[in-house]
Amino acid sequence: MTANGWLQILVFSLAVLAITKPAGLYILRVYDGSMRWLAPVERLIYRVCGIDPDEDQHWTRYAAGLLLFSAVSMLVTYVALRLQNHLPLNPFARGPVVDRQAFETAASFTANTNWQSYSGETTMSYFSQMTQLAFHNFASAAVGVAAAVALARGIARRSDGRIGNFWTDLVRGTLYLFLPASFILALLFVQQGTIQNFAHHVTATTVEGAKQVLAMGPVASQSAIKQLGTNGGGFFNANAAHPFESPTPWTNFLSMFTIFIVPAGLTYTYGRMVKNQKHGWALWAAMFVLFAAGVTTAYWAEARGNPIHVARGVAAAGGNMEGKEVRFGIANSALYATVTTDASCGAVNSMHDSFTPLGGLVPLVNIQLGELIFGGVGSGLYGMIVMAVLTVFIAGLMVGRTPEYLGKKIQSREVRMAMLYVLIFPAYILILTAASVLLPAGLTGLNNAGPHGLSEILYAFTSVTGNNGSAFAGLTGSSYWYNTTLGLGTLFGRFAMMVPMLALGGFLAERKAVPESLGTFPVTTPLFVVLLLGVILIVGALTFFPALSLGPIVEHLLMNAGRVF
Amino acid sequence: MLDIIYIAVTVAFFALMLAYVRGCERLGRDETGEERS
Repeated sequence: MTANGWLQILVFSLAVLAITKPAGLYILRVYDGSMRWLAPVERLIYRVCGIDPDEDQHWTRYAAGLLLFSAVSMLVTYVALRLQNHLPLNPFARGPVVDRQAFETAASFTANTNWQSYSGETTMSYFSQMTQLAFHNFASAAVGVAAAVALARGIARRSDGRIGNFWTDLVRGTLYLFLPASFILALLFVQQGTIQNFAHHVTATTVEGAKQVLAMGPVASQSAIKQLGTNGGGFFNANAAHPFESPTPWTNFLSMFTIFIVPAGLTYTYGRMVKNQKHGWALWAAMFVLFAAGVTTAYWAEARGNPIHVARGVAAAGGNMEGKEVRFGIANSALYATVTTDASCGAVNSMHDSFTPLGGLVPLVNIQLGELIFGGVGSGLYGMIVMAVLTVFIAGLMVGRTPEYLGKKIQSREVRMAMLYVLIFPAYILILTAASVLLPAGLTGLNNAGPHGLSEILYAFTSVTGNNGSAFAGLTGSSYWYNTTLGLGTLFGRFAMMVPMLALGGFLAERKAVPESLGTFPVTTPLFVVLLLGVILIVGALTFFPALSLGPIVEHLLMNAGRVF
Repeated sequence: MLDIIYIAVTVAFFALMLAYVRGCERLGRDETGEERS
């Protein structure tokens, strides 16, 4: 580890702290309707789509709108990918996307996951990239933030189960937040040298005389929203390690920083909405502690390198450089891997499969904690709120009083919804991982034996169900078994968790606020943050500990004993 | 043929989620005896 590496991590952390309040205030104005500079466009959309922006929807209606929008947009994308050879903007005459991959891709992008079992530059036409995948990058991000804001409204108000209007939240999030922010970020990327064109591929002659085809395309505009919306799906297979996508240290920094802007800002927005800013900062602090622990562990493990290589005198300078872009080095690779898996982004600038076992454990655990360390846009905040509800419930049991959260009593139906939210996630991951290591269809895709092979399968199901989308690599996910189960995993991980979360918001909205008393567990103190961290670690880490012990943990012990996989 | 299956799976999944909304609502209604204040 180097002082320079730590300094870069410190600068990144301070930048996230600095952006939290301005981003949070901006998001607050977007969703409370006071942002009006695109009002004519907004009104036109409502008129064309027949939306009544003043309708305050019951949570069941809000959830139904969200599900129907997602279902229709997913089906449209499936059909468009299957027919891309008949559609325009296909200069390389790409054929239709294979049925199983079209299903997985449509599901994955609808669910803000962007798991890719194909190389974007050789599979997708420009039309598919720009109208289908980019559409979902915007829409799925706006859906995520809308859901989080709806939950916050449920907590903040007494409204007979009404939590806002899904359609206006969707339109406002897209129009005022993601479109303008992506436009500015795309310009910054272009200024730094990220390509943005519709050119044909370029054939270059290398210094060794070989011919190399260089893919072109509208990369900057695609990359901007995939970072801001924590989508992560790369235009190129190499994602943010590709020099045409991230050509400079600044693009690498911006790429990481923009992943955290909206999730960090939302903690401030939430504090303002529930009129308890200290609670918003308490959630931010819990997220930051987990982030700091992750990046420290990953950086330490990667800088330490592989002891077998060190003993034989063949180790790269500075630590484990396998699978890393030399331009970015170990500190920025460890930081990127931590950021992209803390948030449910999934963009990568290094290959997580090539990390040391403990270095690779960090991205895996980050996702398994529930994608709430700043988390995906919206999903990070609502995941953390569910954990906060469980925390006050446990604290209430400890002191023998009815638990309260921000003035609302937490009773059995709220806890049921929180438990549904918490249990669906590990259930899908562990059941499908177990099935994959037992069935021939699951094992045929595996390229590594032993604990590393288990880690690869576990990571794949963790990544899709956590709506992260980053790949551990080493697993051939392009098969009917994996394309179908991973595609379904993205849907369960998104919508089967959103429904009880919205129900929680609706149920809390039905409750009358009670004044704080001496028996109320404070949710703004360091004690609350510590208890919240304890609940997150118990619920997240311990659920997966048996599987982790058979994967990366035993692999680490075997590596120290001289065996690698 | 597989296109029809994948489209049917998608429709079935979202239909299941709509039923899940109803299920969660019912779970909430079961608490009618519980204090709502």
